Amino acid sequence: MSDPRIDEALRSMLPRMRRFALWLTRDAHAADDLVQSAVERALSRWHTRRDEESLRGWLFAILYRLFLDGKRRAARQALLLGSISNDEPTWPSAERVALAHSTLAAFAALPVEQRSLLLWITVEGMSYREVADILKVPIGTVMSRLSRARRALRQLGEGDPESPSLRLLK
Amino acid sequence: MTTTTPPSEHDIHAYVDGHLDSAHRSEVERYLARHAEQAEEVHGWRQDAQQLRTLLAGDLAPAPGLDPILVRETSRRRRAQRLAVAAALFVCLAVGSIAGWTARGVGTGDAPMADAMQAYRLLAMDHGVGMDITTGNETDLRAWLAGRIGSDIRLPDLADAGFRPIGGRLFATEQGPAGMVLYDDGNGHTVSFYVRPPGPARHLLPRGAREEGGLLASYWSDGGHNYAVVSTSTEAGRGAAERVVARSI
Repeated sequence: MSDPRIDEALRSMLPRMRRFALWLTRDAHAADDLVQSAVERALSRWHTRRDEESLRGWLFAILYRLFLDGKRRAARQALLLGSISNDEPTWPSAERVALAHSTLAAFAALPVEQRSLLLWITVEGMSYREVADILKVPIGTVMSRLSRARRALRQLGEGDPESPSLRLLK
Repeated sequence: MTTTTPPSEHDIHAYVDGHLDSAHRSEVERYLARHAEQAEEVHGWRQDAQQLRTLLAGDLAPAPGLDPILVRETSRRRRAQRLAVAAALFVCLAVGSIAGWTARGVGTGDAPMADAMQAYRLLAMDHGVGMDITTGNETDLRAWLAGRIGSDIRLPDLADAGFRPIGGRLFATEQGPAGMVLYDDGNGHTVSFYVRPPGPARHLLPRGAREEGGLLASYWSDGGHNYAVVSTSTEAGRGAAERVVARSI
């Protein structure tokens, strides 16, 4: 049941998982809760992992789906409660981030999938194939989504005053 | 290969992300050198990627709580807790159900045919003192009941069980007029046969029995009347009641 090699492999991935979770949730506590859930799920599903699959991609996929499931649940609840909140909540410390760096602020303002794409590809250096596997889409789709994400980041980062997302950050 | 063929979207991104070998890289660079607008965009993308890498690369403060060993332990404990809660819930349910089943009929308001037991207490203990009609003649008793409670009431014939009627009495209950016929076996055992309407709420009874204060009441509904046979809850009374019930239903 408890295999020290599995623990060691997971442990080595923790910093990456936490970074990804932080930029998904944009909240340190929620991020660590998410990572914990993901580690739990990874441990219970370790036997379902295919050997040729990269551990990083597998863990990111678990994390990503857990996050989306949680978001969907929250959206359903919000719908039930009749609140008309934006489905993309603003980063709680948006002002601070915006002051610190406009590129980071722009990154934080991107939709979840664009944020994930850019983090996987530019920061983690994952291959397009790995990303396509996580999102379960063809590589061509990853390419076009990546173009959209990069354009969006550019536009937000350059401070287009007409951009509604940027107005949220002010 | 000519430089006028635009590189694919894949190659552009691979160029930005540094995934291209030198041959492909210079090919993309040659193309961009001739297309200033696209070169500017791609340059911007490279800059953004570079910045994101720098800004996000820093390590977070370690979170010891996320160590797989601890997570394992936590989820094991949570599973055990859930199991314990489920078990406790099951025990509560079981205890509640058993208690509920055992205590069914207990409680003043819902105790079925409590009036029959009161009537028994009132009369049988004094062995027939205060009867409205004192006769051992079953035909008379049947007629007496028919006139006051209902003509379709079947008075049990208990002669072969050793019980003979000694008389009857009427009671006023919330559900309507009730009639009771007392039987006696000559050995000091008394059994009452009690009948009344189910009341305005048409509260018919499933066949059942209950004990209370040394008395045993067996009850059932039939033909729009509620019946009860009451005896003492001693061995002899129990046997007598069983015989009466068997003949009445």
